[in-house]
Amino acid sequence: MSRNLKLALGILAVAVLIGAVSFGKMHRRMARLGETQSSENRARQEVLTPPITTPTDTVVKAKIFWAAAPDQLAPVETELPLSADPVQRARQLVHALIASPPTPAQRTIPADAALLGFYILPDGTAVADFSDPLASETPSGIMSEQMAVNSLARTLENNVATLRRLKILIHGQEVDTLSGNVDLTGIFDLHPPGQPAALGAAPPALSAPGTSATPPSPAAKLPAAPPSPAGSSARTSH
Amino acid sequence: MIVLDPAHGGADPGARGEGLLEKDIVLEMARTVRAELERQGYRVVMTRNDDSNPSYDERAAMANAYRDSIFITLHISSTGQPGTARAYFDQAAAAAPPAPGAATPNVASPAPPPGLLPWDQAQQTESDASRKLADAIQAHLAQLFPGSAGAAAPAAVRGLRSVAAPAAAIEIASVSVPKPESLTALAAPLATALVRGIAAFRAVDPNGAK
Repeated sequence: MSRNLKLALGILAVAVLIGAVSFGKMHRRMARLGETQSSENRARQEVLTPPITTPTDTVVKAKIFWAAAPDQLAPVETELPLSADPVQRARQLVHALIASPPTPAQRTIPADAALLGFYILPDGTAVADFSDPLASETPSGIMSEQMAVNSLARTLENNVATLRRLKILIHGQEVDTLSGNVDLTGIFDLHPPGQPAALGAAPPALSAPGTSATPPSPAAKLPAAPPSPAGSSARTSH
Repeated sequence: MIVLDPAHGGADPGARGEGLLEKDIVLEMARTVRAELERQGYRVVMTRNDDSNPSYDERAAMANAYRDSIFITLHISSTGQPGTARAYFDQAAAAAPPAPGAATPNVASPAPPPGLLPWDQAQQTESDASRKLADAIQAHLAQLFPGSAGAAAPAAVRGLRSVAAPAAAIEIASVSVPKPESLTALAAPLATALVRGIAAFRAVDPNGAK
């Protein structure tokens, strides 16, 4: 083996060694960075949606609906201090749903999502206004998006008896879909225990915008003309 | 007429994996499915055949323009057990009637003229047929995609809402597969499941697509 070849091999070996050491350091730095970001997210979540306490809080066994399988929800009985006021009670439940899944695999709503506002109209329609991460961080897909909506709807309908319907907004705005697939332009029917819909049998029904959930009367095969492009339904991409 | 809808497209990639975009995979799969359906004698039209992104209304209008059409929208998920598949029907089909006295806050919209159907509610008149279609397809997906659920599921799929024809969404898991070819290899069993599922649907609904 020539001297030059030995020299080249030596340089190559040193370069590989330096690369391996650098890669290891970089990998550890990335991991630390990820941990830091995760801690920051948790801290931000605490600032955005601090635990809510009210004078009427009573510790009860709430049913929180988290994922039991990738396509299945199951209620988890959780002792929570819940307010007698429906709005505060709903906020407390949504906070628990986001902040306290028993395991990461059971999470249905992104950890960074925050409930910005919650209102109940006189007719029992709940309006839940979430921060952008609900849309931007929910994994795109029919199943994952429907699971997010269902976990929210079922948690609310099983613990706040006065709610009848649910409208989901993102940062104060109606959006076409949650993350590219599931329709958020309508209003979801809620069925508190004791009402007709069987618990766990089907997702909350979605009423078309501007209508009730009652199916229309039989009509012609062809629907009326599509809404104008200015309408929300003209939006096609998330 | 079978209207095949590769979901997303253009600036909307859909689910994203390592070097994988839902919009590209579903387009490739739709082409395979189309070829198989045509081999079986069906007439097939695709809502897009390139990297364009027709609006939901434009996609629905393609199905609504034909008599006796069937609308199938193809999706790939971000999550779920890789290699499984699920058929969905519009969730209005699963809706229980509103409880007596339940509030209906937005009923102020004027009723459409007789004989017309609100565009946003077009799918509701096809609820039963869509559920049968999705169930028929899911029965065959369950056979060809091990680990898949045995029954179709209701969901508020945006792309189904305005379709005035039997319609189903098919979602395959997922863009998180380690090798892209393991996803594209699912196009053939998907085509088989759809051919068999549509045939089974037509057997119970003779008015289904020709």
